[in-house]
Amino acid sequence: MQIKQTLYLTFFFLWAVSTSANEPLVVYSHRHYAADEELFASFTESTGIPVQVLKAGANELMERLKAEGDRTRADILITADAGRLEEAKAAGFLAPIQSEILESRIPEPYRDADSQWFGFTLRARVLVYAPDRVPVEDLSTYEDLADPKWRGRLLCRSSNNIYNQSLLASLIAAHGEDAALRWARDVRRNMARPPQGSDRDQIRAVAAGLGDVAIVNTYYLGLLLNSPDPKERELAGPLRIFFPNQEGRGTHVNISGGAVLKSSTQKENATRLLEFLVSDRAQEVFPAATFEYPVVEGIEWSDLQKSWGRFKADDLNLTQLGGGGKKAVQLFNLAGWE
Amino acid sequence: MLNRWFTRTFLQEFDLWSGTAFLLCLLILLPLSALLLGLGQRGPMWEHLADTVLSGYVLNTLWLTLSVAFLSVLMAVPSAWLLSHFDFPGRPLLEWAMVLPLAVPTYVAAFVYKQVPEAAIPFLIHLRSSHGVDTYLFAEAFLRKGVLALFMAGVLYPYLYLSLRAAFMVQRRGMIEAAQVLGRGPASVFFSIALPLARPALIAGVSLIMMEVLNDYGAVYFMGVPTLTVGIFRTWTGLGDLASAVRLAGLMLLGILIVLGLESRHRGRARFNETADDTSTPFLRRPLSARASFGALLVCLVPLTIGFIVPLAQLLHWAYLSTRHFGNTIPWQRMGHSLLLALGAACVLTLISVILIYAQRLHPVRWVRQPIRLAGMGYAIPGAVVAVGVMIFLGTIDQRFPYYTFIGSVYAIGFGYVVRFLAVGLHPVRAGMERVCGSLDAASRVLGHSPTNTLLRINLPLIRGTLLSVTMLVFVDILKELPLTMILRPVDFDTLATLAFGLANDSRIQECAIPSLLIILLATLGLFGLNRLLLPAKPRISLYEPRT
Repeated sequence: MQIKQTLYLTFFFLWAVSTSANEPLVVYSHRHYAADEELFASFTESTGIPVQVLKAGANELMERLKAEGDRTRADILITADAGRLEEAKAAGFLAPIQSEILESRIPEPYRDADSQWFGFTLRARVLVYAPDRVPVEDLSTYEDLADPKWRGRLLCRSSNNIYNQSLLASLIAAHGEDAALRWARDVRRNMARPPQGSDRDQIRAVAAGLGDVAIVNTYYLGLLLNSPDPKERELAGPLRIFFPNQEGRGTHVNISGGAVLKSSTQKENATRLLEFLVSDRAQEVFPAATFEYPVVEGIEWSDLQKSWGRFKADDLNLTQLGGGGKKAVQLFNLAGWE
Repeated sequence: MLNRWFTRTFLQEFDLWSGTAFLLCLLILLPLSALLLGLGQRGPMWEHLADTVLSGYVLNTLWLTLSVAFLSVLMAVPSAWLLSHFDFPGRPLLEWAMVLPLAVPTYVAAFVYKQVPEAAIPFLIHLRSSHGVDTYLFAEAFLRKGVLALFMAGVLYPYLYLSLRAAFMVQRRGMIEAAQVLGRGPASVFFSIALPLARPALIAGVSLIMMEVLNDYGAVYFMGVPTLTVGIFRTWTGLGDLASAVRLAGLMLLGILIVLGLESRHRGRARFNETADDTSTPFLRRPLSARASFGALLVCLVPLTIGFIVPLAQLLHWAYLSTRHFGNTIPWQRMGHSLLLALGAACVLTLISVILIYAQRLHPVRWVRQPIRLAGMGYAIPGAVVAVGVMIFLGTIDQRFPYYTFIGSVYAIGFGYVVRFLAVGLHPVRAGMERVCGSLDAASRVLGHSPTNTLLRINLPLIRGTLLSVTMLVFVDILKELPLTMILRPVDFDTLATLAFGLANDSRIQECAIPSLLIILLATLGLFGLNRLLLPAKPRISLYEPRT
């Protein structure tokens, strides 16, 4: 009898120890890629720390964090743009993190000056065009897309999308609100159809000949070109990428980034996960899996990215995107860009 | 005065039942009132919205709601009439198959039908080069919006079909037969007797469809038609102004109330008695000639094809491609989550509906009745907005109650479903009790049985069928639900709906086929349970409370 009881107790003890040692890290993530899941799995494999994820829209995650307050289970917040991280910082959700690795590996424009958030991938908002209809000399800048010569030829998704909002925010930073509003109004007027669908749909419409130039993120073309579906590969094959504003301030880029929450009880492990995301091992995954650009310098790009060529990125301080998103939505409303 | 009210009506009617009902309603109403409080506040962006996009949202919403309502009437009224009054080959099968589009969530239908405007691109390009940009833009918008309205009507018409069929089946046969004897043709009988008599059912069905359209986010977003719901999201997530977003939702609710109010005023004092007084006479369906049968089949098959067969076929094709190209398999875990949530919440919701309605039968006084009526309001509010209300409410509790965290638990999401879908349970349970139990339970009380005893021995056995169908109906609704699930679900907890939407949102349209198909499959199984009860000539349920 006593043996049995002892056994039970031992098992209970072991169970208790094992669960407390492996308390999972909880990640609230706006990113929705299969590659992320694989990275979290390999983090667990190498550290023994399990990772649990809640994927939802960035603002839904923010509302949830607000409602949960200090009681939140979340340790890390990951979003697909710097603006939202900046908002989380302003709301006082984030903890400053001292980490040599993060500071040294991530270039300055792509992390918070107060060490509260850190970017781990870069994405560029570029032009995808059909070379048989658009001579490359015709393409130059985002600003040029407002020219009447593009009437009925442009394609872009809805301004509900955060990528469009941060692009307009970068134009506001460069030229001021009035000019940005004029730009949005003219570009909307030049569109081949009202904004609809995803970036991928815009690329498809260029391939089908509905429009000549689409404003999209690079990785959507990468996904199409590497699709297991031969039809999609064929469709995207003839299209080309153009990096705008190379003569001037550079192509608009934004980050995917992560931050440790102030209420987290496992800040150390959470920091380890962020450090893992900028390790060589993880950084090498992004170019091949999601066609995003690695944030760490010296990481090899995928062949496809190499074929697109090096480009100059807009060195706009991404912290400026914080309040810019809301301003951008207002301007889009005024411009009639749905 | 208050004192008198307190002793007369409150204390006299207060017991375990009315007390529980009152508390339950309070619990359900608290998250909603968290939102209503916001309604009075003018968000910082309200003027900006009113100056820019508001009129566009309202116009889009109006035409979409009206055209979906109109198309659903075209789809549901003739088929419901034909299937209730005539006999033709395939009728027994069609009678239940007509409900199947209910298994298809609108956003899944949108994944499929989005291909139509895309396939039309070569035609549109031709139009642009031959007829100019204006014609092209008009045609593009017409095609896209037309397809949207058509497929939404295709998946939503069953709400109307169900309520109309229930009405047609119990209409006083005597009246119709008298008209026939007096020489009226079938068309005349239909337009001058059957349809006017079925007006409450028509209104109930159409208003359900309109609410579904108003609530939809996925389909309109995919098809690029910014309605008020899209505006609510955009105001909340893009402009960061929850107060104005809630105000937009309030505007929508107000619109619904005005329409319903106008209808009931227009109806005036007319009463529509829907109970069958001669169910003993066997109901004979008139057989149709071969040519007429063909026409009747066509009338039924067109909506069924739009709402069910086309989406199913396309998804099957995609599922095949996705297993071939991506090696995707059945997501068992997600399926388990979906089933657990939908079944669990459906059972709880049915139980709550029974408690509330029974309490109201025992105590037909205002302080019991009104809260129950209000508690059904969640159905008219978009899921995401309900979710925010639930989060604000539970967050407040979590801050004060340190032993358990509600937000992010299965209970929170179950609670969210109850707040959102209570009306779906309340109305049929009430209608079922009124129709079937009549004064039987009162008799049992008079004979000295306790309320609980009466409920268990008289009411529940009598409305067993209704309860099963209510549970199934809620099950199907929850299975398809997206925004609320997305916001309130626990960490590391995906359902079929969130999985499908995530993949589709990432443009991985083929890969979202398997989870979408599983939703449809499980919902179809649920509808079997629902339909079994609909089939007998004397229907035991009317899905929605006939407003008399």
